[in-house]
Amino acid sequence: MFIQQFVNGISVGSVYALMAVGYALIYSLLNFTNFAHGISVTIGAFAAFFFLTYAMQNLLSGIIMGVIAAALLAAFIQLVAYRPLLKRNSKRIFLMIIGLGVSVIGDNLIIIAFSGRFRIFPVNFSSESIKIFGANIGVVDIIIFVVSMIALLIVELIIRKTRLGLAIRGASFSLDTTSLMGVNTYKLILTIFLIAGSLAGIAGALLGAKYTTYPSLGTFYTNKAFICAVFGGLGSLPGAMIGALILGVSESMISAYVSTGLRDLFSYFILIVILLVRPSGLMGKSSENKA
Amino acid sequence: MLKCENLRFSYGKIQALNGISFEVKQGEIMSIIGANGAGKSTLMRCIAGMLKPQSGKIIYDGKPLPHSGHEVVGRGIALVPEGRWIFPNLTVEENLLMGGYLVKDRKIGIKRAYEMFRLLGERKKQRAGTLSGGEQQMLAIARGLMSNPKVLLMDEPSLGLAPLIVNDVINTIDEINKQGVTVLLVEQNARKALKIAHHACVIEQGKIVKYDTGDEIARDKSVISAYLGRNAKKTNNNIKELNN
Repeated sequence: MFIQQFVNGISVGSVYALMAVGYALIYSLLNFTNFAHGISVTIGAFAAFFFLTYAMQNLLSGIIMGVIAAALLAAFIQLVAYRPLLKRNSKRIFLMIIGLGVSVIGDNLIIIAFSGRFRIFPVNFSSESIKIFGANIGVVDIIIFVVSMIALLIVELIIRKTRLGLAIRGASFSLDTTSLMGVNTYKLILTIFLIAGSLAGIAGALLGAKYTTYPSLGTFYTNKAFICAVFGGLGSLPGAMIGALILGVSESMISAYVSTGLRDLFSYFILIVILLVRPSGLMGKSSENKA
Repeated sequence: MLKCENLRFSYGKIQALNGISFEVKQGEIMSIIGANGAGKSTLMRCIAGMLKPQSGKIIYDGKPLPHSGHEVVGRGIALVPEGRWIFPNLTVEENLLMGGYLVKDRKIGIKRAYEMFRLLGERKKQRAGTLSGGEQQMLAIARGLMSNPKVLLMDEPSLGLAPLIVNDVINTIDEINKQGVTVLLVEQNARKALKIAHHACVIEQGKIVKYDTGDEIARDKSVISAYLGRNAKKTNNNIKELNN
């Protein structure tokens, strides 16, 4: 029982990590929370669902379709909603408000387009399980964990080892100074949204595989991921990952040993406590103009 | 080579540049001196593409300069910003790599930087935020050189440094210029900035009020009393008060 719940928690936590790292990446560069992140997750889930239903039943290909759809959507939102404000050097709070607006519009457009019903991936990944140490471990949980970790490792390598990654790390200190080095910061910001969107797409496809696909999927789970990002310290990538795994496992334990109903309550309670006690989270950066 | 024509820039109602025109000739050091708030840094940020002047032109090599930082670097003009703005979270070497973002092979530049500033080589793995003020200024200069600029813009390189270190910085600038880099130097530390300058101009309230060779400006009576003489500090303070 305990091992099963722990594995379940790790699997959910690693999906939270995918989304939380997306928040952290954008926050580290632009000092605002991209609340339009959720619709990329939802679109990722829908893209994977339709691909698996109408094209071929291969989860990996489905995930790739989800990634493409979500990354393109994130880039589109950046270009249409955020860039005009960034060019005018608006206060970060306005970017956050625009993001909220985009999120509401997006959620409703998705309901109009696909209706509000719940869809199950044509291949039922969640029913298969294998026995490890006498515990039934869901195959889907193992897939989720492995895929998430590979994706996060790739992002980490990009950030640590490439020229692009160096620019991202530099820009997390100062975008202006980074542009003085010859970096096209608008292109850099677009790239960041593509990376965050790709991670959101993977998260959406994996959530669709584990649970079901529905229009408010992204909003529901990115809210949790946001809590993870705040817990870890907004703008910190390792913080977001650690926060996500901790929250995933604690949620899983609470629904197993206390009550399923208390699970979400617990998460939001954590959010409030962190904001009251330690707003910078486990390893967050601090700055003035943020939202 | 680098020419500004009638540049105007204002922050809201405050006019920072009030029709600035001058030219920097190839291979020289041009110093711009002036009190706090005279518009020196604004001018540098306009040339570097970080601010867009409301009117006027900046022409480099016969073509206007674009109003975006990275394109200006691409044209061969690098700014060493006021207050240095090194990346404190990156190592010394990573800071240099950032400076050479547009350069294909950055090894040559890094090697040259370590030859020029031995200390940076010794601390290449150290986080730049842990360096002293003088070391950070050297890093900022070395970083600026990484893009192999033809023109180096330097905004108050002596700011906040001990007098001995200021001499090092000034000598370094002279050295860089001797290697063929044109330098536009903005300084409050007028005496030292004029010593190495081929030409200099004085900027007051967003306008160029004097332009001459460095030596002539250093000999100019009104410059001496405002920026160089024993009473310079007092006069400077008066100008500051006027500006406020």
